[in-house]
Amino acid sequence: MPISRNRRVAGVLALALVAAVATACSSSGGSGGSGSSGSSSTAKQTVGFIMVGSNSDYGYNEAVYAASQKLAKDDPSVKVITADNIPENNAVTQTMQSMVDKGAKVIFATSYGYYAYAQKFAAAHPKVIVLHQGGFNTGKFTANFGTYWGQAFEPVSLGGMAAGGLTKTNKLGFVYAFPISQTIANIDAFELGAQSVNPAAKTYLVNTSNWCDPLKQKEAAAALIGEGADVLTQHQDCQATVIQAAKAAGKYVVGYHYDAESLDPSGWLTGSAWDWAPIYEAITKVALDGTFAGSKYNANFVGSFQDNDNPLTLASFGKSVPTSLQSKITAEETALKKPGASVFTGPITCQDGTTLVAAGKTMTYAQINAISCLVKGVVGTLPKS
Amino acid sequence: MTAAGVPGRLSAVTDRLGDRTRFGLIVSLGYVVSLVVFGVFVAFKGAGAISVYHTIISSTLLNSDALQQTVLRAVPIGLAALAVTIPARAGLVNVGGEGQLIMGAVAATGVGVAVGPHVPGFVSWIAMCLAGAGLGAVWGALPGVLRTWLGASEAVTTLLLNFVANDIMLYLIYQVWKDPNGSGQPQSRPLAHHAQLPKMFGSQLNIGVLIAVAVVALTWYLLTRTSWGFQLRVVGGNVEAARRSGLKVKTLLLSSMMAGGALAGLGGAINLAGVETQLRPDITLSFGYVAFLASFLGRQKPILVVGSAVLFSAVALSGNGLQLNDGLDGTIVDVLLALIVAVPLIVAKYRKRAS
Amino acid sequence: MNGIEQTLIGGVSGGTSILLPALGELISERAGVINLGTEGAMLAGALGSYAMTQSSGNIWLGIAAGIAGGALVGLAHAWLTVRRGGDQIASGLLLWFLALGVTSVYGTSYVGTVITPLSNIAIPGLHNIPWAGPILFDQDILVYASYFLVGIIWFVFYRTRVGLTLRATGERPEVVAATGGKPQLVQIAAITIGAGLGGLGGAQLSIGYVGNWFNDMTSGYGFVAVAVVLFAAWRPVRVLAGAYLFGIVLAAASVLQAHGVSINQYLLDAMPYLATLIVLALFARRGRSDTPEALTRSLSRSGT
Repeated sequence: MPISRNRRVAGVLALALVAAVATACSSSGGSGGSGSSGSSSTAKQTVGFIMVGSNSDYGYNEAVYAASQKLAKDDPSVKVITADNIPENNAVTQTMQSMVDKGAKVIFATSYGYYAYAQKFAAAHPKVIVLHQGGFNTGKFTANFGTYWGQAFEPVSLGGMAAGGLTKTNKLGFVYAFPISQTIANIDAFELGAQSVNPAAKTYLVNTSNWCDPLKQKEAAAALIGEGADVLTQHQDCQATVIQAAKAAGKYVVGYHYDAESLDPSGWLTGSAWDWAPIYEAITKVALDGTFAGSKYNANFVGSFQDNDNPLTLASFGKSVPTSLQSKITAEETALKKPGASVFTGPITCQDGTTLVAAGKTMTYAQINAISCLVKGVVGTLPKS
Repeated sequence: MTAAGVPGRLSAVTDRLGDRTRFGLIVSLGYVVSLVVFGVFVAFKGAGAISVYHTIISSTLLNSDALQQTVLRAVPIGLAALAVTIPARAGLVNVGGEGQLIMGAVAATGVGVAVGPHVPGFVSWIAMCLAGAGLGAVWGALPGVLRTWLGASEAVTTLLLNFVANDIMLYLIYQVWKDPNGSGQPQSRPLAHHAQLPKMFGSQLNIGVLIAVAVVALTWYLLTRTSWGFQLRVVGGNVEAARRSGLKVKTLLLSSMMAGGALAGLGGAINLAGVETQLRPDITLSFGYVAFLASFLGRQKPILVVGSAVLFSAVALSGNGLQLNDGLDGTIVDVLLALIVAVPLIVAKYRKRAS
Repeated sequence: MNGIEQTLIGGVSGGTSILLPALGELISERAGVINLGTEGAMLAGALGSYAMTQSSGNIWLGIAAGIAGGALVGLAHAWLTVRRGGDQIASGLLLWFLALGVTSVYGTSYVGTVITPLSNIAIPGLHNIPWAGPILFDQDILVYASYFLVGIIWFVFYRTRVGLTLRATGERPEVVAATGGKPQLVQIAAITIGAGLGGLGGAQLSIGYVGNWFNDMTSGYGFVAVAVVLFAAWRPVRVLAGAYLFGIVLAAASVLQAHGVSINQYLLDAMPYLATLIVLALFARRGRSDTPEALTRSLSRSGT
């Protein structure tokens, strides 16, 4: 095979590509293109949002997107730019850079896996305020970095109450993706909520080791239903499959991420839905008026029922939930809003009999955020580290 | 897909030109057509083709920060692409770049986390790079052995090993190597700061880029200027002839897989030690498959392969600009990547005729 | 219902999402062409069938659209590899990226919607058979279709002239051409039909099994299908067994956990691939596999 000839041919190929692209490039230079938009938006302050999944995923990422659009609507001085489907690797650094190039003064990096990149980017760009959604910084904060999250397990425990109240088999099924602490806290809270109305209720676990794999979700739901579970819940990025499986089997479902009552009106008990707009608006306000450094957002900010600012809220009740149970749940919600109240109030025992929380004590958020114990009443084990 | 007829008719028109010139014209036309097709596609999604191409160039190559990011991403892709190229010279198909990258990152993490805090930086840099290359070579040797001694097609065993590598990595970061300070998130402990590859001249580029450039040069030298490289081509040209002329075919095939695996493993290690600094699930997401296509686009010529890797790195990163400037879905860059690679496939016949 | 029966039921219904594309891949590879674009064909079939079912309200039109979506990907693969002589692996990977990109761009608007998935139809008489009844004869229509497909493919492969030509094409296309056959046509048809089955597999997943669409919802099962064909050493009945085995591994992971049994999820996930590697290592040289020769040649001929 004549190698040298091939190489020359390939050279022509590369030149042609460059020429084609250069033509496209230069002709757009004449027409002005869209590259000059940075200077035209001096009146507005630019705020960027970065999402790991599709901004219309009907879940976590869509909630972020919807809140970002609400921010733009509510505050005319703010211009919102968004980027979705950004994987959790160094690609996000480039996304943040592109946003700064577009004039972004504030950037919200909204997926857990962005944490290290967001922190590094903030350190390298002191003039840009970088917020990370879901992270927890145990070290020092630079003046332009903060994390924020909510005590997601609070509404999840209320969903557990609904499940515990309606189960006839006393078996609840929980489909989760990966054994991360936020998920473990949700599982525990769900079981604790269920126990509070039905001490015999047990939560059965199946993991899928994938944030959205409908085939595995369906198998998981089928296995749980086969085991006798009559209420299913989940911590997955896409929740339609589990809801559909419960619906087909005539079982109840408790949702997560968004209010999906419309998917299964008779099986839907309740769930939890994100409402990030208040936090985004509050953070954006202090970030743009120059008072971010030293504020409560220049730290680990955690919204909660007690402070009345939990971004995860209780979704609507389905028609299967009797009013007596509904009022019990709303009463518990009110009780959790009192200062010092906590889902994780002792005594709470782990599966293996060790004490998670002693009687009369409560766990701090930092402790809950590093939780690795499943409470008594949860059936199934976590992979041990 | 009427494009088939276009080069066909064109070739009739240009029959009198020399084979090479004609082929060059056809290929150029192919790229123009493929860029036009993408332009039409984005127009369907409400964006202007000119503006889109302007964005792609300006958001990846014409801005210093963006260019540095493009280069950083091109390092693992380029080295994994060479991991395809070396065995391809000997006629082997290595679809295992993804797994070899992962194992390189895994090895670098294991070594870097274990010894990094206790030794001077340069010792752990060297140790991580060697470990990454070493485990990558092992991961390349497995399908090499399966092929040479047991006759199992390396094209499929390398593919299967990608999934195994991913499961191994997930097992490590969810269980044995899980960062105790990571809120239970799937990640290893981060590398100590002095164990990370240092950045050069205040830029975002780390010394791994230099290592990569040196390795690319070395690869080019080995493939084109040594008897090993020549023998690989002989084996790739005709195994029987190679065997009859006394070449150790099995050793050559295995060495090409190991050399390839080592390069990809090094790419994974550099990406880990210089850019990511912590093992997490998505750090090389589909880089290995993009690398295969880069090697294909570069026609197994080291320099062209690396150029293709830079191009694909830029294409992938242009998703940011396309979203922010043109309101397109970021995933649209997968379509552009596919359309670019389609060209050499479509013109494959003319190449055979031209050469 | 006990755990074993539950696992087998899940293995069959979930395994069907792997079986259909694997049968398609089998046909393609028997004609001498590997198609890594099967993952892309599944995605195209999953979205095509879902979109059509939702807009038309007719699940049969949806199934047809799923097959058509997959076949379109197959036609592209056939054109690139057979007509244009392009590299099979590169073509397959690029079609995967293309399908991933296009279905993500166009599929986004369907995320969050649902349709009623196919319901199970218990076959009178048969579903009462102890054990086998609920496992094999209380499934949805596409599962039953897959039983017939295995039989049809086996029959065509080994009992008809078409099958003979197909297999001959996968072994020695030049001989087929010399005896007046049209190996290119055979390959194009095999790839297209094969990818059509991949599309049907995607449809089985989206409209048959789970009743919704999500971007990249096939999660790599197209590659599992490729593995199944190798595992099965290119024999139709073994493809059935292999797909169910992989399905059973999936289902067992869930059932074991639901019973509170601790498992190593990652080892379990890796099992199908390891099993395939072992099969390949053991049988590749012993003449026990039916590796199509043209396939072997086209796979080892890549590069310069």
